[in-house]
Amino acid sequence: MSQTNSGKQSQASEAKKAISLPISRVRLIMKSSPDVSSINQDALFLTTKATELFVQHLALTSFNNRSQTQANTLDYSDLAKTAEESDTFHFLTDILPKKILAQDYLKSLEQMQDEDSDF
Amino acid sequence: MASSSGNDDDLTIPRAAINKMIKETLPNVRVANDARELVVNCCTEFIHLISSEANEICNKSDKKTISPEHVINALESLGFASYITEVKDVLQECKTVALKRRKASSRLENLGIPEEELLRQQQELFAKARQQQAELAQQEWLQMQQAAQQAQMAAASASMTQQASSSQDEDDEDDM
Repeated sequence: MSQTNSGKQSQASEAKKAISLPISRVRLIMKSSPDVSSINQDALFLTTKATELFVQHLALTSFNNRSQTQANTLDYSDLAKTAEESDTFHFLTDILPKKILAQDYLKSLEQMQDEDSDF
Repeated sequence: MASSSGNDDDLTIPRAAINKMIKETLPNVRVANDARELVVNCCTEFIHLISSEANEICNKSDKKTISPEHVINALESLGFASYITEVKDVLQECKTVALKRRKASSRLENLGIPEEELLRQQQELFAKARQQQAELAQQEWLQMQQAAQQAQMAAASASMTQQASSSQDEDDEDDM
């Protein structure tokens, strides 16, 4: 085969309208997954395109379900809400820090103060 | 573009690429900075999710390399079946582009000689080489045979001379 790695990269950019995310970066991320050894080049194309679709899907879904429906903005909380409520995006809750409700925090503070005053 | 520091887990899709995609998907929408950062990290998480699932499917199939089929099955089982059609179309497009490239470069390299002619020339050269090899091998074999024959003859005449001299000795003994 006369193709080199850079040859494969530029062939993907020739199909520029097809894929816009950097394929080499996607490969690096895939290989950093535990146990993943070798990936077929076509499988790499598929994963890259799927990731693009994922970004679009996540952005659209979060925007449509946003809490501030009157404002034309997309917030962190909109994304977090989508992850919590959607089955498809639920895997993202792993990377969302657990949010503690303000009232729960105040309650636990009060409890600690009461315990202190007992002594 | 490779990072010189940090471990594998710091790998993410470049922020600019994500921003561009968000802009194209939600034009005229203001997106908070921490929301963009979150999307970048969600991408990495998604890639890990697909890779792990595809890898598991690959392991069960006795193959060593993750194939397109494995990725498609992973998308299906993880609830992303809606992506499959579009993702397959892109693959077809990439293959067409790759095919065109190969045809173009092989036309350049041949300098006008059609592939069948090149093949024929190659076969001729191979046949010639094989013939030369065979002739050399045969010469060596003949030489070995000759050497062996000479050795045999020499050994035979040596033993005949020995026998002759030893029988003379026996006669001498009888006379004593």
